[in-house]
Amino acid sequence: MMEAATNTGGDWLRLIVGLIVVLIFSQLNALFLVWLERKVAGHIQLRYGPMEVGPHGLLQTIVDGIKLVGKELITPFKADKKLFVIAPVLVFMPVLIPFLVLPFGPELIIRDMNVGLLLIFAFSTFSVLAILVGGWASNNKYALLGAMRSVAQNVAYEIPLLLSVMSVVLMVHSFKFSELVMAQHRVWFVFLQPVAAIIYFICATAETNRAPFDIPEAESELVAGFHTEYSGMRFGLFFLAEYTNMFIVSAVATSLFMGGWHGPFGWSLGIPGVIWFLAKTYFLLFVLMWFRWTFPRVRFDQLMNFSWKVLIPLSMLNLLVTALVVKFV
Amino acid sequence: MGYWKDIVVGGWSLVEGMKVTGRALFKPVVTVQYPRQRLELSPAYRGHIELKVFPETGTHGCIACGTCQRVCPSGVIKVQGVKQHARGGKVATHYVIDFTRCSLCGLCVESCPTQTLQFSTEYEMEGPSRWDGVVDLVTRMEESRS
Repeated sequence: MMEAATNTGGDWLRLIVGLIVVLIFSQLNALFLVWLERKVAGHIQLRYGPMEVGPHGLLQTIVDGIKLVGKELITPFKADKKLFVIAPVLVFMPVLIPFLVLPFGPELIIRDMNVGLLLIFAFSTFSVLAILVGGWASNNKYALLGAMRSVAQNVAYEIPLLLSVMSVVLMVHSFKFSELVMAQHRVWFVFLQPVAAIIYFICATAETNRAPFDIPEAESELVAGFHTEYSGMRFGLFFLAEYTNMFIVSAVATSLFMGGWHGPFGWSLGIPGVIWFLAKTYFLLFVLMWFRWTFPRVRFDQLMNFSWKVLIPLSMLNLLVTALVVKFV
Repeated sequence: MGYWKDIVVGGWSLVEGMKVTGRALFKPVVTVQYPRQRLELSPAYRGHIELKVFPETGTHGCIACGTCQRVCPSGVIKVQGVKQHARGGKVATHYVIDFTRCSLCGLCVESCPTQTLQFSTEYEMEGPSRWDGVVDLVTRMEESRS
């Protein structure tokens, strides 16, 4: 009895501390990523990027954030008021939940659930709903078009994403993140499952609505897509959710394909696991930014063709081969 | 086989693109942080005209003949001069240009009989009033000498 009580106490403590750390981390991470994105963009185009506020513009995004908080929250006259207000909350809430199961280090998992991977994909689908709600409630043609594109795109890219993840799950026989990472103690899955890794990363780019798959907010055709009518911190929440989502997909890629908290080939080089994990995650985030400033945006039909004609058959094939190998070898 | 070829060729073109931007990432930045850093201007740069200072006399050689004033297609130049000695020639005391209407054609520089005009390298001419483009070249020369 006594033991159970203290256990629940410890659990609550872990949960509360975890929640606070996650909230702070997600904000700081988004601020840092926006700065990094602008820096990467600048240097790829032989510019400096932000330089004025703080050393090398490090404080620029904080200042931008303060400006966003200070802005008026405009609700369009003909908007569906309730849905319009709820959409930014709806988009930001589910991006916090995956942090519960992300394996930052051997001891740094808030909750190591046995359905961890499923949980992440279940909640990441929520953001599509939120985008649809926001686009619909704005009562604006650009917002609605962006939202509809977003739904079509996410439905198309969720399938190869899950299929490529399944081939890893087939090898490990578990959805639990700690086991998925432990299985890569010697060899990272990116070497055993290169096709799945590439497909996962392409689909993750599409899932987070990043260039070259940023057609839901294609600024040259749709003004700003689903967040055209949003201002102030409501827009800020969409923005924050996008960058947190990027972190989540990169963190999942790290733990599924890049060995999570392990160093390459079992060499930890005396560096703690959490550093390995974050280094790999931020490297993948950098690659996402690199993508954005390299590739032109795909057209809508190209996007759909690419998913249904290339990614889905390839990931199916990959899954089939994996299943056969696991079964007979 | 076109299907697989498309995937491989297309995929490789993406890698090539990443190589291009990846190299650009480490190239030196070309931006100049303007108010704190300035570029060395090319001698061929054409700012508004200015009076040349000749080392022999230590001053300009304008004789206020008014050729530039007459040749200027936009009527930008206004020259005034006085005779400093009874027998001597005129010397310019005021040489006013309105740079807001100057088209930098260079006819004044070409036609000057004493070759005392040249293009300056002045490029920070912004101002809140339209009279900010009006410059007296004689005062400007004296200020730059002192």
